Amino acid sequence: MFKQFTSVFIGILLFIVFLLVSSSVYIVDETKQVFVTQFGKIIRGPINGPGKEEAGLKFRYPFINEVHAFEKRYLEWDGAPNQVTTKDKLFVFIDTYARWRIVDAKLFFEKVRNESGAQSRLDDILDGEARIVVAANDLVEVIRSRQREAVIPEANVLDDESQLKPFNQGRSALAQQVLDNAGPNLKEEFGIELLDFRFKRINYSQEVRLKIFERMISERSRIASKFRSEGDGEAAKILGTQQRELKTITSGAYLEQQQIKGKADAEAVKIYADAFNQSAESREFYEFLKTMETFENTLSKEDTLIFSTDSDFFRYLKQSSPAKE
Amino acid sequence: MVDFPNEIRINPAAINKLIIGGVVVVLVGIGVMTCFYKVDPREEAIVQRLGKFTGQPVTEQGLHFKLPFNIDKVTHVEVTTVKKLEFGFSTQTPGARTRYSPRSRGQADASLIVSGDLNIADVQWSTQYVVSDSYNHLFKVRNAVETFRAMNEAVMSEVVGDRTINEVLTSGRSEIQQEVKDKLQSLANQYELGIKLDKVILQDVNPPEAVKESWNDVNEAQQERSSMINKAQADYNKIIPKSSGEAEKTIEEAKGYAVERVNRAQGDADLFKQVFSAYQKAPEVTRKRIYLETIGKVLATQQRDDGKGGVVVEQGPRKVIMDQDAKGLLPLLNLNQEAK
Repeated sequence: MFKQFTSVFIGILLFIVFLLVSSSVYIVDETKQVFVTQFGKIIRGPINGPGKEEAGLKFRYPFINEVHAFEKRYLEWDGAPNQVTTKDKLFVFIDTYARWRIVDAKLFFEKVRNESGAQSRLDDILDGEARIVVAANDLVEVIRSRQREAVIPEANVLDDESQLKPFNQGRSALAQQVLDNAGPNLKEEFGIELLDFRFKRINYSQEVRLKIFERMISERSRIASKFRSEGDGEAAKILGTQQRELKTITSGAYLEQQQIKGKADAEAVKIYADAFNQSAESREFYEFLKTMETFENTLSKEDTLIFSTDSDFFRYLKQSSPAKE
Repeated sequence: MVDFPNEIRINPAAINKLIIGGVVVVLVGIGVMTCFYKVDPREEAIVQRLGKFTGQPVTEQGLHFKLPFNIDKVTHVEVTTVKKLEFGFSTQTPGARTRYSPRSRGQADASLIVSGDLNIADVQWSTQYVVSDSYNHLFKVRNAVETFRAMNEAVMSEVVGDRTINEVLTSGRSEIQQEVKDKLQSLANQYELGIKLDKVILQDVNPPEAVKESWNDVNEAQQERSSMINKAQADYNKIIPKSSGEAEKTIEEAKGYAVERVNRAQGDADLFKQVFSAYQKAPEVTRKRIYLETIGKVLATQQRDDGKGGVVVEQGPRKVIMDQDAKGLLPLLNLNQEAK
């Protein structure tokens, strides 16, 4: 019986020793930073804080020392979509994110206890700052970030509404303002270092969105009717050119034709004149020949010729002797 | 230990031995089993000894030894696998005919992005990346992938915010992909995410559903414009070359006329000159001869070539011949008519 109790006792003893040993060591993970409190008072740490490489096995007094571990890594903060009215009176939802880490674990522990406390402080502060910054600026300042010229495709040359809206500061400057406004405060008060703050999404609220859609539709239909009237105009221009060229061609041809003919006629006239106009005798002979020719060409069976027998032609009808001169 | 009447008696020392032996066997078993880990071809292993990173990720494939009982903690990180994040849509069953889940509200919101001309574009994209630095990926950032997701949205909305809706929907696509990729990479480096960007791919980029129709109408109008222009051009092409041909013809004809006219004139003139010089040798006789010949021809019944190979017989004019002393013209005239 005694032997039995001894082994049970040894077992219990071993268990206690194990408990003591295991609660007097602790592991600091690569991703954690810790500090140690004794009766609620910080006596050591932070161990493995930002910029330090102190992960590994550590010792403490069992039971009276408490180890508080916090994330060493960069942490994310994801803001809830937030409705804001911009300076130009547009209702938008802004959705933001930030990155932060715990740089002063003591302060962090004292002020916000844990991460969820920190997240809710970040919600308050960052949402608030973002709201202030966005409300103080026109919408375009949160949208644009880099100065550049829009590349306008040929198809939309006339569409002046499709230009980029000009801006002064831009998105990253606004984000920087939030960072500048919230950062030092967070660090001093909560031991939180804000590494980055960015606007994730910017969306119009539902009713503004409908208005934007309307505007887009009307803009598109303006472009569409522009295309159509351009088509009409271009076609009319081509047909106009066609008519002009047609007239130019035909009248040009007529001009040339008349000039050529005129020149030829003039030459013919000159040739005739030179031939017929040699002397009075040639003129008379021409007249005679021409008259003869005309007789030949003009008289037909419809005409009636009345000759007298004293004409040159019929004179021998009556007599065969030569005419009495 | 209390003895029960019906219980089989067992030596307590034996029980102790059995318990201790059992515990030892279990411990050794667990120890041996937790002494090994394997590394797959597509991953590397991060080993932490008592929480502390051992300095180098284990990249060599195969079975490796470690200290048991969670003294060494091993985390496997896939490093060669290309991972994919989807925005505005989500793949349900990837494959040759990939099926996509219906879009949730959140996805639709993520993909509606305000452009630089304050319009709205529906941009869906996916980002492919690999884990390039498993140490940073695990130890520098918590939830590296979630952070990366938020960065994606922020960068895409920033890049789209610097472009007009036209650029987003048409010409600027590849430029956007490149810019988003570059910006994301430098941001990932800055955040020490241990992520290397592989690709940013714009999937569907559309005008929002509500305005799609008006965008299509613009395309249609554009088509109409070119078809109108083409039609006019066709009409132009039909008329102008023909009329210049005709003009050419007119001019050539005129030239023909000119040559003919001058030649004829010259011919007539030459003829006249010849005849005239012959005439001058015997004017009286020639004159009379020509006169008589002409009258003869005029009064005669003539046979003329009709130009088609046949012969046309033409009668000369009606002739009335009166004695110069005759009186009373009419009876003769009538007689002549009857004779015809």
